[in-house]
Amino acid sequence: MASWLLGRSSRILIHQHHHLHKKYLPFLLGPFLNHNNSSCSSFPSTEPFRCRDAFPGKNSSPTLFRFSRHESTKAEAQLELEQDVATEDEPNQVIDFPGGKVGFTSEMRFISESPEKRVPCYRVLDDNGEIVKYSNYVQVSKEMGVKMYSDMVTLQTMDNIFYEVQRQGRISFYLTQMGEEAVNIASAAALAPDDIILPQYREPGVLLWRGFTLQQFVHQCFGNTHDFGKGRQMPIHYGSNQHNYFTVSSPIATQLPQAVGAAYSLKMDGKSACAVTFCGDGATSEGDFHAAMNFAAVMEAPVVFICRNNGWAISTPVEDQFRSDGIVVKGKAYGIWSIRVDGNDALAVYSAVHTAREIAIKEKRPVLIEALTYRVGHHSTSDDSTKYRGTDEIEYWKMARNPVNRFKRWVERNGWWSDKDELELRSSVRKQLMHAIQVAEKAQKPPLQDLFNDVYDQIPSNLQEQERLIRKTIEKHPKDYPSDVPL
Amino acid sequence: MRKFTTIFSHIKSTKMNFSVSLLHRSSPFCPNQPPHPNFKNLTWQNRDSLLLFPLLCSRHFASTTAQNPSTLNALQDHYQAIDFPGGAVQFIPEMRFISESPKERIPCYRVLDDNGQPILGHNFVQVSKEVAVKMYTDMVTLRSMDTIFYEAQRQGRISFYVTAIGEEAINVASAAALAMDDVVFPQYREAGVLLWRGFTLQEFANQLFSNIYDYGKGRQMPAHYGSKKHNYFTVASTIATQISHAVGAAYSLKMDKKDACAVTYFGDGGSSEGDFHAALNFAAVLEAPVIFICRNNGWAISTPISDQFRSDGVVVKGQAYGVRSIRVDGNDALAIYSAIQAARQMAITEERPILIEALTYRVGHHTTSDDSTKYRPANEIEWWRVARDPVVRFRKWIEKHGWWNDMAESELINNLRQQLLHTIQEAEGVEKPPLADSFSDVYDVAPSNLREQEQWLKEIVRKQPQEYPTNISV
Repeated sequence: MASWLLGRSSRILIHQHHHLHKKYLPFLLGPFLNHNNSSCSSFPSTEPFRCRDAFPGKNSSPTLFRFSRHESTKAEAQLELEQDVATEDEPNQVIDFPGGKVGFTSEMRFISESPEKRVPCYRVLDDNGEIVKYSNYVQVSKEMGVKMYSDMVTLQTMDNIFYEVQRQGRISFYLTQMGEEAVNIASAAALAPDDIILPQYREPGVLLWRGFTLQQFVHQCFGNTHDFGKGRQMPIHYGSNQHNYFTVSSPIATQLPQAVGAAYSLKMDGKSACAVTFCGDGATSEGDFHAAMNFAAVMEAPVVFICRNNGWAISTPVEDQFRSDGIVVKGKAYGIWSIRVDGNDALAVYSAVHTAREIAIKEKRPVLIEALTYRVGHHSTSDDSTKYRGTDEIEYWKMARNPVNRFKRWVERNGWWSDKDELELRSSVRKQLMHAIQVAEKAQKPPLQDLFNDVYDQIPSNLQEQERLIRKTIEKHPKDYPSDVPL
Repeated sequence: MRKFTTIFSHIKSTKMNFSVSLLHRSSPFCPNQPPHPNFKNLTWQNRDSLLLFPLLCSRHFASTTAQNPSTLNALQDHYQAIDFPGGAVQFIPEMRFISESPKERIPCYRVLDDNGQPILGHNFVQVSKEVAVKMYTDMVTLRSMDTIFYEAQRQGRISFYVTAIGEEAINVASAAALAMDDVVFPQYREAGVLLWRGFTLQEFANQLFSNIYDYGKGRQMPAHYGSKKHNYFTVASTIATQISHAVGAAYSLKMDKKDACAVTYFGDGGSSEGDFHAALNFAAVLEAPVIFICRNNGWAISTPISDQFRSDGVVVKGQAYGVRSIRVDGNDALAIYSAIQAARQMAITEERPILIEALTYRVGHHTTSDDSTKYRPANEIEWWRVARDPVVRFRKWIEKHGWWNDMAESELINNLRQQLLHTIQEAEGVEKPPLADSFSDVYDVAPSNLREQEQWLKEIVRKQPQEYPTNISV
């Protein structure tokens, strides 16, 4: 078969079983004879031959096809649909409605709102840190494994200390990752530095993996003069241009369609990288989730959507969030590959994200990953989660299902980690954090001018005037303003 | 008696089981789910028992079998299931991605073939002669309306028009399957539903001409019909906004214990709006008796569905929200009628949403502001107009039953033409709504700033009457 037929942007294939009338052959084949394979990597602004040009008569209608399967991963054959909804009518009882051939059935049968059993969850390590039989997972080296574990512990320690710092009123707000350390670190480990990250807010582990220092985290939480964000956002709204980590913003799910646009740009630029965006289960209910998924599929954007399904959106449990079988089943609704992963299993997350990344970049398509996990901590320092869920439930997930402990068992069993290493690491991270907090707390706040900079690239005259006005006010009433903000 | 359950009647205890159970659904067809064990009792034995009682229990309408696809294979049976929030889920050691779409598309339910011949099947809803003849006459009426009103716009007598050419079966057959108490939330290409419910040709023309008899007081573009009397919510131009409104109305019907549902229509393009997403999710979570009817006619103005979505159409979106769904031949009036009637019964008796994707083709231009030959070939249009005509197909069926003939056809078409031309003359001759109607109904009571603005305008009109049209009373 001619290779030019395999291009993703060429959605036409002449079905071998349909004999075309001779007079249509030159017209149908013409545009493709000159088709340049290299142009398949760019999205054409105008298709040379639109599949919409259907002609009367069943046998002369072209059929929509798509090839390209990632070699190392089989796409599930959708056995459930083929078995249950296979057309009972004769093979010639198909008609070409817009969108492609569809078989007819004379039986009125509604598709159930959910499958009889839930989509299974990919897992590599069991709760004892043992590799599950028959698991096809991506190998992790010792260096990688140890760094993954160290960063998970670092993240956990950061959370414990920063949470207490907020309770002491030294920072205004904090949000922990407790229970979701594996999703954070393992997904980051599976990515490349060129991959662009668009986070929600519970993914600082990705930034940690990429080299953001503990000191830099603390600067942002304190909103001091060393904060890259110049103290303009609440704590934990981290961002770093250097680490390809888009700055966090509070409105939920807005980053999802932005990630699709970034991915499309990467594709247009011919980069060997993808966009990766994270969201919680609650974010999947926003309209922007719908827009992002659909645009990603239609624009064939190399983007990986990672959904942390931790069971809660503040006080809203998942059964009040959706009635589907979670988020993994939403992939098919948009024409997107999807997989469900044990979010507390670092190796499963690593393998799935690693493979999804390869699929996204090579095949120029979006991939959806639902990582099942549990939010062990409160939603944020403004939340007391015992008001809406039992403490024994929290304790169960904290102790019996802890992702850090599970991974530790695995690295220990490999002989890569020891109790001594553990003590050294925890002690070292704690000291670094204490030091970082002291440094950040003493640093000055950003200058007053930073309230007016960066609204636009250049400061317009009305903003300049407003700055002058506030400076005059401060001159008149200096005692009403904080002394640690330089003028 | 139907047990009434709402989300808010379930008071959550701070000591709730960690196993997050789905709220109990009221349905006589489905066995009650047993309570789930507290996590402390979650032993291996209890884990196994979880498999015996699937959390996501499928419910079946008595006369319709819901399909139960299963994603399991034999390998999965050997591995443990664990209770993540949202219910028990089995583990699988193999990394396998679910394909973006099935190899074969979801089949399309059809009762009549292109020759109007019933295909052998055991579950289509019978239609009486009276209903069938009314269905056919309304389909023809709708088409005649479209032909004549379209020309009226071309002549500049009305400013805008939208036809439903090619989609008459969806319009009329769905309306026939509903009850008058069902509340309808249209998009804009569903005038046939209002026609079925008794809106007169004169009432249609009055809206198109924006005259004093228009219930909308001439405030919206032509084809934005509405009628409180017929439970037909007024059309608004913004795409898909009505879908979530329908969910709220359905929830209200449920709270009021009405034996009715909400029905909303939208095109394939409407399914890409964020409001579509909001509506289907809310409908599922709130268990609202609403029917979503998507007219997948292949186009959103000039955008073909290959640029609208990459899924297998809209029907596969149902399971993504936990909504039951079906795909129907939109050019087959009997298939539409059967599916809607079954969906309505399910929605009301089981208090659940239903999604119906009706496959069809937009034979006419998008609107009078569109020339569709600019982006699709004329022979494609002609193919659908001639070979796949829903009106002709249905006519063949009723003729075979001896319920219709050529003479009846000629009489009907002649009568319609005369009536329509008469209504246009009537509507055109009537004066426009008064100037005051530009300011009333913004709020229930006009606030002082609006009353002031009205006075200013009246003063200006009085000073320069020659600048303003004479058929608007001041």
